[in-house]
Amino acid sequence: MTLLADILTILLNGLQQGAIYVLLAVGLSIILGTLKFVNFAHGALYLVGAYLGLFITGQVPLNNGQLAEWGIQSYGIGLGFVAALVIVPIVVFIIGLLMERFIAQAFYDRPDTDQILVTFGLAIIVQELLRALLGGSSQPFPQPSWASGPIALPVVGNFPRWRLGVIAITAVLVLGVYALVEYTDFGLIVQAGTLDGEMVRLLGIKLSRPYLVVFGIGAALAGVAGVVGGPLANVNPNIGTEQLVPAFLTVVIGGVGKIEGAVVAGLMLGTLQVLLIQTGYAAWSQVGIYALAALVLLVRPQGLLGSEVDVS
Amino acid sequence: MSDEPRDATATAAADADAEVTGGLADRWASFRDREISTVLLTVVGVAVFPFLFNNFLDGYTQLATLMLIYGIFAVGFDILLGYTGLLSFGHAVFFGGAAYAAGIFSASVSSSPLLVLLAGTVFAVLLAWIVGFLSLRRGGIYFAILTLTFGQMSFYLAASPLAFLTNGENGFTSVNIGHLLGVIDIHGGVPFPLTMLVDNMLYVFVAVMTVLSVAMANRILHSPYGTVFRAIRENERRAEFVGLDVWRYKLMAFIISAAFAGIAGSLFTIEGNYVPLQSLYWTESGRIVIMTVLGGVGSLFGPLFGAGLYLYIENIVSGFETLGPFWHLILGVVFVVAVVLFPNGIWGGIDYVRDMVVGGEDE
Repeated sequence: MTLLADILTILLNGLQQGAIYVLLAVGLSIILGTLKFVNFAHGALYLVGAYLGLFITGQVPLNNGQLAEWGIQSYGIGLGFVAALVIVPIVVFIIGLLMERFIAQAFYDRPDTDQILVTFGLAIIVQELLRALLGGSSQPFPQPSWASGPIALPVVGNFPRWRLGVIAITAVLVLGVYALVEYTDFGLIVQAGTLDGEMVRLLGIKLSRPYLVVFGIGAALAGVAGVVGGPLANVNPNIGTEQLVPAFLTVVIGGVGKIEGAVVAGLMLGTLQVLLIQTGYAAWSQVGIYALAALVLLVRPQGLLGSEVDVS
Repeated sequence: MSDEPRDATATAAADADAEVTGGLADRWASFRDREISTVLLTVVGVAVFPFLFNNFLDGYTQLATLMLIYGIFAVGFDILLGYTGLLSFGHAVFFGGAAYAAGIFSASVSSSPLLVLLAGTVFAVLLAWIVGFLSLRRGGIYFAILTLTFGQMSFYLAASPLAFLTNGENGFTSVNIGHLLGVIDIHGGVPFPLTMLVDNMLYVFVAVMTVLSVAMANRILHSPYGTVFRAIRENERRAEFVGLDVWRYKLMAFIISAAFAGIAGSLFTIEGNYVPLQSLYWTESGRIVIMTVLGGVGSLFGPLFGAGLYLYIENIVSGFETLGPFWHLILGVVFVVAVVLFPNGIWGGIDYVRDMVVGGEDE
């Protein structure tokens, strides 16, 4: 092992670790940036995505929870991983639309503390509903068969194929959203709405539909993150809340509403975490990302790539 | 429904003098608005509570004690959320931090309950000074997320790098609580006349602390200082234009609420002789948010009530045959309904209903 190989391995692992943060953070960030809505239920959408992915990819045995008591032995339909990658975002997109229409909209004019409270309550409901029905135990989420095992990379050597898959899927999705926001008329309207919603409305453009779609896209990204992140660790009802805090950190470090910012911040956090683990400071790996976040926010409260005007 | 809590400072004194001649409702209002009556009501409340609780509500003594401890925590949290309008998602740091500080102090310095309590509270206050100083730089969601950040940082610090102090995942077990003032066994029984109401000294100790905390909160909130908190909640910019140093008041509100969390955390250690690592996790911060909002923000007794209700559901309802597995879910639903429909919580709801029945003073 050379030094270069070491560095590249840490970077690749950091990319993979940060990828999930990025997927979650981009969704959170566009919702927060355009709709000014704080979604503490974003982690719950991740959780729904993971369980839905589990449902689509396989027959998962049920040992506890209410469903088991009602005589259902397993859940799942076994359509395969690619199907999950397609179906889950669509379903979670629809959940996102419903959330916007029936919950978020009523809270746009209320203080952001109320938004936090109501979405926090929603997150609890989703999490506890899943726990009550499916039980609280951890379920292994199998990696897709076409991406299991190691792959030989130049310089780095053997690297788990699925981790590369996570990086690739994230890259494609985030680039897609970036292109949508930066280079389409839809994106133009959304961006204009972010800067001055009233002016856009005066120009005769209805913002409620684009906003609805933005919420749906953000939700769908969280759902995909659940499918992509599921195979990296076991799935249980707590993973949503566990992912929410680092995802929020990624958003605020990067700068609210900035997709590039979320990417940079996610990769920073992921790399720092992997670096601390691989250099023998594993105990500090979690503390490290929070300390980094605190530090960035103290020096640059608007986030690394956030603009000065954005400060609320 | 009025936005301003009705026991506002100015009306209190005037009511007491001028409107005693009014009907029964007015007399009651003027009685209630005096500080001494608030304290008396609290004393009577905590005195008969365990008796009623044990005999009619299926409760047990230890739970009654825990309810008061979390009640103190919630009263302090409400000073920040309900009166100043700041939502902290990291208050577990002060509760858990004080619990650890109290535990470590009891094991290595002194086992006197009063000193342990003092050590935990002072630790919480000093910590709040730092955390508040850093996280109050930004308002709204940034404040919530920054407090969350510092909370999680302390959780992971306690989990491993500081495990030599905190005993890591297993929680701090070597708590050592001595006799109160050197003579009273705090985990022992009570002398005769008291036995009719309560059965251990620990409850009495916690109850005294609860009364003191409520009196203190009442005094703060009804002072000009507390009025500034409310002004900041209503309109921060306007408060600033009037010439108030908003930032300093916000920091003080944060520190004061952390002091209450510190008292509660230290009592938690004294009560349980153990500090779980979980007491620093952010779900613990979430619990106190739920308790306070459910009970009623912006009122003195609402949070106490919310804390009691939460722990009752958690400990008693969760044991019911059919409802049991769904208790947390039900609580979540009730919480969301409360946020959407009753921003002032159950206590605010009671106030509202009473006003409709009695006619209340319409504003």
